Amino acid sequence: MNSSPMPAAPPPPSAQRASPLLEVSAIAKHVQGPEGELTLLKDINFTLSGAESLAITGPSGSGKTTLLGLLAGLDTPSRGEIRLDGKTFSSLSEDQRASARGATCAFVFQEFHLVADMNVLENVMLPLELAGREKPAASAKDWLERVGLSHRMRHFPSTLSGGEQQRVALARAFAVQPRLLFADEPTGSLDHANGKRIIDLLFELNQHSAAALVLVTHDPQLASRCQHHLELHEGTIINSSFADAKAVTASPVEKAIPHE
Amino acid sequence: MSKLLRPWRDHSFQLLALALAIAAFALSAVIFLRAELEQRFSVSTAEALGGDLVLAGSRTPEPQQLAKIASLRVSQIIDFSSVLVHNDALLLVSARAVDANYPLFGQIQLANDRFADEYSQNKGPAPGRVWVADQVIDRLNIAVGATLTVGSKALEISAIIRQLPDQNAGFYSMNPRIVLNSVDLAATGVMGPGTRIRQQSVVAGEPEAIQQLALNLDTSLRPDQKLETVADAALRSLGPLRQLSLWANLAVLLISLLCGAAIYLATAQRVRRRAKLAGLLRSFGASRYQVIAQLLGWEFLAILPAVTVGSALGIALINLTLGTGGSLPGPSMISASALEWSSALFAPLLLWLAFALPRLSALVRVPAIEILRQRQQSSVLGTNIELLAALSAPVLLAGLLTASLGELGRVLGLIAALGVLLPALLWPLIKSLDLASARLPLAARLAIRRLSRRPALTLPLLVSLTLAITVLTLAGQTGSQLLADWRTRLPSQAPNHFVLNLFGQDMPALEQWLEQHEAIAQPLYPVVRGRLSTINGVPVKEAVTKEKKSAQRHLNRDLVLTEASTLPSSNRINSGRWHGADLRASALEQPAQLSGNTALQRVSVEQEIADRLGLQLGDQLQFVTSRGLLSATITSLREVDWNSFEPNFYFIFASGELAAQDVTWITSFWLPEGDGARLAELLSELPHITLLDVKSLLDKAQGIIAQASQASALLGALLMFSALLVLAAGLLGGQQQRGRDNALLRALGGKQFLIKRILWIEFLCLSGSAALGATAISLLALYPLNERLFQQGLSLSAWQALPLALACIVTICGLLASRKALQQPALSLLRSNED
Ligand SMILES: Nc1ncnc2c1ncn2[C@@H]1O[C@H](COP(=O)(O)OP(=O)(O)OP(=O)(O)O)[C@@H](O)[C@H]1O
Ligand SMILES: [Mg+2]
Repeated sequence: MNSSPMPAAPPPPSAQRASPLLEVSAIAKHVQGPEGELTLLKDINFTLSGAESLAITGPSGSGKTTLLGLLAGLDTPSRGEIRLDGKTFSSLSEDQRASARGATCAFVFQEFHLVADMNVLENVMLPLELAGREKPAASAKDWLERVGLSHRMRHFPSTLSGGEQQRVALARAFAVQPRLLFADEPTGSLDHANGKRIIDLLFELNQHSAAALVLVTHDPQLASRCQHHLELHEGTIINSSFADAKAVTASPVEKAIPHE
Repeated sequence: MSKLLRPWRDHSFQLLALALAIAAFALSAVIFLRAELEQRFSVSTAEALGGDLVLAGSRTPEPQQLAKIASLRVSQIIDFSSVLVHNDALLLVSARAVDANYPLFGQIQLANDRFADEYSQNKGPAPGRVWVADQVIDRLNIAVGATLTVGSKALEISAIIRQLPDQNAGFYSMNPRIVLNSVDLAATGVMGPGTRIRQQSVVAGEPEAIQQLALNLDTSLRPDQKLETVADAALRSLGPLRQLSLWANLAVLLISLLCGAAIYLATAQRVRRRAKLAGLLRSFGASRYQVIAQLLGWEFLAILPAVTVGSALGIALINLTLGTGGSLPGPSMISASALEWSSALFAPLLLWLAFALPRLSALVRVPAIEILRQRQQSSVLGTNIELLAALSAPVLLAGLLTASLGELGRVLGLIAALGVLLPALLWPLIKSLDLASARLPLAARLAIRRLSRRPALTLPLLVSLTLAITVLTLAGQTGSQLLADWRTRLPSQAPNHFVLNLFGQDMPALEQWLEQHEAIAQPLYPVVRGRLSTINGVPVKEAVTKEKKSAQRHLNRDLVLTEASTLPSSNRINSGRWHGADLRASALEQPAQLSGNTALQRVSVEQEIADRLGLQLGDQLQFVTSRGLLSATITSLREVDWNSFEPNFYFIFASGELAAQDVTWITSFWLPEGDGARLAELLSELPHITLLDVKSLLDKAQGIIAQASQASALLGALLMFSALLVLAAGLLGGQQQRGRDNALLRALGGKQFLIKRILWIEFLCLSGSAALGATAISLLALYPLNERLFQQGLSLSAWQALPLALACIVTICGLLASRKALQQPALSLLRSNED
C-alpha cells in the first residue's frame, strides 16, 4: 500500500502569527461596462500569515472569483494594495508577477485545467519545470503517489474521471510546495462524494505542507473548516473573522449611510 | 437578410467562405483560361489549315463530294506554279486563286508599299487585281499599282502580301506567292490539261458537322485526294500550350484540394459551435426539417456570395488579361459556352458539398440530450462517410477540369499516394521526436509535445503544407526551366528576318550591311535544290505506293537539301546515328565529290517526310540536281521542332557532301526595330535575295511566354495562400485549447517570453519538417520528371531554397494567427469560458 506517512514537513509552521504572507489593504476593482463604470469590489482589507486558511463565501456574483484573481496577481486592483510576502503586487510587471506567483503560489481550479496533451505525470511536472526545480519527475511521482494516482501516471487527462483529474490538480498544486494555495470552488464540478474526498485531501495535504490556503466556496460547512472567513455581498465584505478588517463592523445600518 | 449575415460573425465561417472564394477564383479562372486557350488554339490551327476541314486533291472534287460539303461554308482554293514575265524579267511563283469566301478564318496581312505598315483584310483580291509577295516586287522591280501579266491575263497589283493566314511556315516552297481571284483564272489560260494544280476545298463548320462530313468523305476519296481536319492538325502540334494547361490544371486541382482541406477543418469548428444550437432546437421540439432549414439552408445561402464573388473575380481576371486589355490579339470578350459557365459556378459548390455538407449534416442528427452534455465532441477527422465524401471530390473536380481523367489521373494518383504515405512516414518521426525531446529545454519540449500529442490536427497540417511546398518547389523549378527553354528558343534577339537565295559572292555585302545596322546574324546554311528521283534504285513514282499518294506533292517539287556537321539544336535523332559523330566524316577520307555521282553520301531525313514516303534507315536515295545526280544512304531519321525559330530542313547531308553542287545560302538575323529603308538598302544591293520578315510571329510567341510566366506566378501565390488557409483553419480549431494552455502556463508562473518561445518552436518545427519533407520529395521527384520533360539536365538551383523561404512564411503566418491565443489572460481560467 502506498499510504505512506506524510513526509516530514519542510520548515514547520510558526504557530504564532509572525510575518504576514498576504496583506490586502483597501482594494477596490472597477470595470468599464457598456453602461458605465461597474464596481465589482470595494474596501477589502485583511492580512493572512503563513499556514493560515481563509474561506471566501458569498452569493453568486458577489465578487469571490474577482477577489481571488486579484489576490493571486492574475489581475490588478483599481485601487489599494496587495502585498505578497512583503512585495507589492501592483508595482510588479506582468512577468514579475508570474515569477512571484510561480515561486509562492499554486492553484486548484473548479474546472481542473489540466493540459490535455500532457499525461498525468507531465502535468504535475509542469510547474516544477517552470520554476526550474531539481528532479521534477521524482517529486511529481512522489506527489502523485500521495494523491493515490501513481498507477495512472502515463494516462492522459481525458481518460480520467473528474475526481481523479482534480486529484492530479491537487498533486500539481502541492508539488511546488507553495506557501499560498488558491482554490476556486475546487469541488464545483464534482459530485458530493468525490467533492468530499477532494476537500479532505486538500486539507490533509495543506496541513502537512504548511501552506496558507485561500478557498472560495459556497459551502458553509467547508468554510467552517478554515481558520478565517470572509463573506462578500455585492463586492463588499459583510462578515469577516479578521480582527483588523475594518469592514467587519459594517452593519447593515452603517452600510445604508452613504460613505462619500 | 440578417440571417444571411449572421454566420459571417463566426471566424470559422469566415475562413470557410474565404477558402471557397479562393477555390472559386482559381477554378473559374482556369476553366475560362482553358476555354479561351482551346478556342484560340483551334482557331489558330484552323487558320493555319485554312478551315476546319480541308479536302485537297490534284483536280476539282467529284460532284457528289461537292454536294456533301455544299451545306457548309466552303472556300475553293487552287494553287499552281506560274512564271511571271515583266519587262525582261522572269519569275517562278506559287500562285493561288481564291474565291469570294477566302479566307474562312483569320486575316490577310497586306501592305500598300514594300516597306509600309501592314493592315488586315478578310477578303481576297477583287477580280482584275492581284496581290504579290514582297519578293515579287523586289525581283521584278515593280510597284503597287503596276500591271502584271499572269499567263495571258493582265492584272493590277493592288497590294503586297505580308502574310496569308494559312501560309505554311518553314521553307518548303520558296517561290514567292501571288494571289488572284478565281474569276480571272480561266482568262489567264494557265490551266491547261497538263498543268499541275493543287485544289483545296476548305470547309468551316461546327465540330460535329465536320466530324460527320469527314466520315462521309473518307469513303469517297480519290487516290489523289487527302482529307485533313482541325482535330488531326491540332494533335500534331500542341506544344508548350499543352504543358502550360496541364500545369495550370494541376495547380488548380491542388488549390481546390487545399481549400477543401481548409473547408473541412473549418467546418469541424463550425459544427462544434453550432452543435449547442442544434441541441437546443431539438430540445425545443424543432422537427428535423426545421433543423435542416435553420442550420444547413441558411448556411448554404450565406456561402453563395463568397462563391459568386470568387468566380466573378476569376472570370474577370481572365477577361482582363486575355480579353480586350490583353497583349494577344483576340476577341474582346471571352466567349465561353454554357458548360463552362456552369462548371465555373458549380465546381466551387462541389467543394462545399463534398467538404462541408457531410460534416454540417451531422448537426441534423444531434440529439436533444447534447445540450445537457458539456463534452468536447466531434473529432477533427470526422466519420468515414465524411472522409469518403471529401476524398471523392478531387476525382470529380479533375473530371470537370480536364474532361478526360486520364491526363491528370497519374498526378492525382500520386497526390493520393502521398496523402496516405506522408502521414504514415511522418507519424513515427514525430513520435520519436517526442521521445527524444525529454532532454530538450522546457520550451522545446512543450512545443514538440503540442505537435506530437495532437495528431488529428498536426498531420493534416503537415501533409497540406508539405504537399503545397513540394508542388510549389517542383512547379517553380520545372516551370522556370520550361520558361527558360522557351526563352532560349525565343530570346529577345531571336532572328526576326530570314534571308534566302544568297550566293557565295553576296557574303561580304551582307556582312557589311549586318554590321552597319547592328544586326545579329545566325549560322549560314548551304542550300541545294533537288528532286527525289529514285528510292533504292526504283523510280519514286513506282516506289511510293498508292496509299502514299499524299506524298506526291513532295515529289513534284524541288526539295531543299542542306549539309551540317552538328545536329541543329531543335532536332533530335530518332533512329540511326547522326553523321557528324561518324568517323567516316574524317578529313583523311577521300573527298566525297571526287568519287563522282555514284558515291554514297550520308543523309539524315526528317521523320515525318520519311514516314510519308515510306523511307527507312539504310534506304538509298537519288536526287536530281542542277549538277546531275546525287546519291545518299539514309543514316538517321530526325524529329524536328517546327515551332523553333530556326531554319529547319527535311534532308541534311554530312558536312562537305554538297560541295560539288550549286549552292545558295540561307541565314537569319536579328535586326533592331527601325525603319524599313534599311532593308530596302540591302535589297537594292542584293536584288536577287529573298527576305522574309517573321517579326509578327515572334511577337505572338513572346507574348504567350510573358503571359505564361505571369499565370504561373499567380497560381503559385494562390497555392501557397490556400496552404496557409489550411493552417489558419487548423489553428482556429485548436485556438481555444491553445489559449487555455497559455493562460495556464501564465498562472503557473510561466513568463510571456517562454510562452512566445514555445509558439515559435512549435511553428518552426511544423514548417521546418514540412520544408524538409518537401525538399526530400522534390529531389526524389525531380529525377523522373527531369527524364520525361527535359532532354538536357535539370540543374539544381536556387529553387531548392524555396521550401525554407516558404517555411519562414508559414511560421510568420502561424505566429500572427496565434496572437490571440498568446494574449489570453490567466484570469480567464477562473471563469468558465465557452467563448
Ligand atoms: N470583466 C468584467 N466585466 C464586467 N463585469 C464583470 C467582469 N468580471 C466580473 N464581472 C461581474 O462581477 C461580478 C462578480 O463576479 P464574480 O465572478 O467574482 O462572482 P462570484 O462571486 O465568483 O460568483 P459565482 O459564485 O457565481 O462564481 C459579477 O456580477 C460579474 O458579472
Ligand atoms: Mg466564481
